[in-house]
Amino acid sequence: MITFELNGKAVQADVSSDTPLLWVIRDHFKLKGSKFGCGMGLCGACSMLVDGQSTRTCILPVAAVANKKITTIEGVGNPEMLSTLQQAWVEASVPQCGYCQSGQLISATALLNSNPSPSSEEIDQAMSGNICRCGTYPRIKQAIQSAAFKSGLANQSGQQPSQNGGVNIFEPALTAKEEMV
Amino acid sequence: MSQHSEGLVSSRRSFLKNSAMLGGGLMIGLPLSACATAGFPKAGDKDFQPDAFLQITPDNQVHFYMPRSEMGQGTYTGLTTLIAEELDVEPAAIHVHHVGPLSDYENPEIGFQATGGSTSMRVSFKPLRQAAANARRAILDAAAQQLNLPIAELTTENAQVFAKGKAFNYGEFVVVAANLGVPDEAPLKRPNEFKYMGKDRPRLDGVAKSTGTAQFGLDVDFEGLHRAVLVRSPVAGGSVKSVDDGSAKTMPGVKKIVTIYNGVAVVAESYWQAKQASLALSIEWNEPEKLASFSSDTGKKWFEDALNSGDFEEAFEDGEGKDGLEKASKVYSAEYWAPYLAHSTMEPMNCAVKIEDGHCDIWVGCQTPDVARGLAARICDLSIDEVTLHSTFLGGGFGRRFNSDFVAEATEIAKASGLAIQLIWSREDDTRHDFYRPASLARFEVGVNKDGMIESWTAQRAGPNIMPYTLDEVVDGKAPGFIPNGLVDWLSKRGYGLFNGLTVDHSSVEGLYEDYDAVNKDVQHVTVDPGLPVGFWRSVGHSFSGFFKEGMMDEVAHGQKQDSVAYRLAHTKNNPKLNGVIKLAAQKSQWGKSLPNNHFHGVACHNSFESSVAQVAEVSVENNEIKIHKITCAVDCGFVVNPDIVKAQMESGIIFALSAALHGEITLKDGKVEQSNFHDYPVLRMAQSPEIEVHIVTSDKDPSGVGEPGVPPVAAAVANAVFAATGKRLRSLPLSLS
Repeated sequence: MITFELNGKAVQADVSSDTPLLWVIRDHFKLKGSKFGCGMGLCGACSMLVDGQSTRTCILPVAAVANKKITTIEGVGNPEMLSTLQQAWVEASVPQCGYCQSGQLISATALLNSNPSPSSEEIDQAMSGNICRCGTYPRIKQAIQSAAFKSGLANQSGQQPSQNGGVNIFEPALTAKEEMV
Repeated sequence: MSQHSEGLVSSRRSFLKNSAMLGGGLMIGLPLSACATAGFPKAGDKDFQPDAFLQITPDNQVHFYMPRSEMGQGTYTGLTTLIAEELDVEPAAIHVHHVGPLSDYENPEIGFQATGGSTSMRVSFKPLRQAAANARRAILDAAAQQLNLPIAELTTENAQVFAKGKAFNYGEFVVVAANLGVPDEAPLKRPNEFKYMGKDRPRLDGVAKSTGTAQFGLDVDFEGLHRAVLVRSPVAGGSVKSVDDGSAKTMPGVKKIVTIYNGVAVVAESYWQAKQASLALSIEWNEPEKLASFSSDTGKKWFEDALNSGDFEEAFEDGEGKDGLEKASKVYSAEYWAPYLAHSTMEPMNCAVKIEDGHCDIWVGCQTPDVARGLAARICDLSIDEVTLHSTFLGGGFGRRFNSDFVAEATEIAKASGLAIQLIWSREDDTRHDFYRPASLARFEVGVNKDGMIESWTAQRAGPNIMPYTLDEVVDGKAPGFIPNGLVDWLSKRGYGLFNGLTVDHSSVEGLYEDYDAVNKDVQHVTVDPGLPVGFWRSVGHSFSGFFKEGMMDEVAHGQKQDSVAYRLAHTKNNPKLNGVIKLAAQKSQWGKSLPNNHFHGVACHNSFESSVAQVAEVSVENNEIKIHKITCAVDCGFVVNPDIVKAQMESGIIFALSAALHGEITLKDGKVEQSNFHDYPVLRMAQSPEIEVHIVTSDKDPSGVGEPGVPPVAAAVANAVFAATGKRLRSLPLSLS
């Protein structure tokens, strides 16, 4: 039995300890937003925040996250309450097929949490672990820059951005609707 | 123009043309009346459902049943915008549904329910608008009767009828509308009346795809669904000789181990359990001899020998054909090569199947749902009415999901195991068991007259053909039930003989010869097929012919000491659309003006899927490393429903093509694919993506293809820039200077 925090709630999983976190989240907790892409930590489709770091979970045994804080895309925001980055994603029409975008958003969220106004090169570097086969990179970069700019403005004026219900914008918004299985 | 029209025909349209040779089109293109109502979306008793596409409920909900698959290319937004415009409903207010197979949803150019060939907007532009206009008119007719007002006094806006200053929901009139019937040809809006079409608008699937809530095939789940992993013959087409599953059987979660036509499947409670157990299988294979004898390091000679054999089929001839070369004052010749390529969609292939009480349910994101359903029916020995296919979003297609091999596998496993299963491919499975872009070798001979103008353009291509592999599945999936299985197998295998010797598969030569003015043209083909399955890869034949033809054109221009842009313009007098985009790309990229130090321009252009695209690449070369700084792209794709999506598709095609141009190569050793995952089959990442600028020609012509036409010119534009930088002519993909 492994205990960890999933999107703000303490959970337990009774699975083989070598099972990658990705499959525990998808098959056991039934959260399907995190995707399987390569199984080797090469494409980033499976990215989740582990204690705030964007982490490839297709190769991360669930035993390694005991007592850690896990945030999946479902914990970043939801259609009724988008994070600033998600809002920027929608405005820039970033997604095409959309399959990699959960992972892209996780890496972008980790980036802006640690570096609120990254340079173009810093964005390249932070996003280098996430592949998009549709080639949405120009728009991902544009959306990150736009979100960084907006949150900079919000911070300057001392206001919290409205899209995120007053939650610190780069802290994951906890979703009230979430139900654990 | 006549010589060009042939070349503008898309690959999948020529599929229909080629297929018609099979028994006079008996199998394909005929609507199957037996399934006319199967899968028809269910309407409530009081709903207004004018056709298979639209449904308006009494509580004023508007539903659109989208006849094409959404795989990133933007149909979800684009086709819904057509409905929104003519029905007069805010696009975001429309509920969009993925659909299962239904004859009403067949693609008129392909002959079955296929999403491909960059046809979605082109074939839907008028029919869907007409359907929505008819529905709006029916609502107005009903409102006029119900309100007892002349129709001229009624207007509509966002799913409401306005009469004498009062607003009424469409839903209030649906019962009467359903009784009155639907007119056939309600007038369509004029361009100056467009509210939604022609404007940049956000994607309608943007929120779902930015919150992890969009459902892909992989996300399908229900009580009792097991997961399956299939170990396939490492040489495609092989079968199981013997299997030792002793240790795998006893591993945690394993429910069943079954052998099917191409491998051994482990069915377990979860994917991870199935995957672990699959690694414990020990399998001996029967391998097809021909493919097992093919290795890429020596295999290119197969292609060279074929080109040298002189054993050609004539694919196209105009003017004096090849004889025209004799009169030329100078002949340029060169050979170009392109390797096999994998699609590498981000979502690996997967499919869920449940067979219960004489009914089969399939959950899958695919480009050909009716073929997939037909294959499943054949495997289960059920009629197509006893098979229900549930469609989802596709995590990338690029032509890979035109094939239904993974649906057939999943159905076989469900049938053999007696369990509801979801088959999940690994990335290794995906890289090693694709229907690859065919490897191709081409030789050009181009004759120039004393004025320096091209008079003769000839090309010869050696390589495998896609059509036999596609026909194999499509005939199996679409053949009507009254034909015995044995005969269907026989028919589907005829494709190999037909296209590998008797007639030329158009997708093997498309794009090699059409674009430039020349009085004499000749195209010949010789089939070389080691037996590795090949399929539609974003832009199909144009994916290699765009590189070949545009490299060759650059060689001739350089040989004639002519500017690359000016020489192309001089040879596209009969091709005004292509001429226009060349001019636009040259102007926007500041062709011929000074560039930053050590930066060089290369240009390329190509017609495909009825659209014209020209691109200028800005490139530098340092220590034999090719760095791409910027691509300027001009596209003419007729009237544009959503310019931002066209721009996105150009960006997408360019980045997809750059992955292939710089890195893409599938190689074989003794018939086995050597690459396996993104470390040895790398694709572009953000840091390697250049700045991209897209310019769209304003046009009032009907829309043409967008998803694929951005791909073909890219590799050539880069290679031509590399030539400008280094004097080295790269005639082989992927591009390499070392």
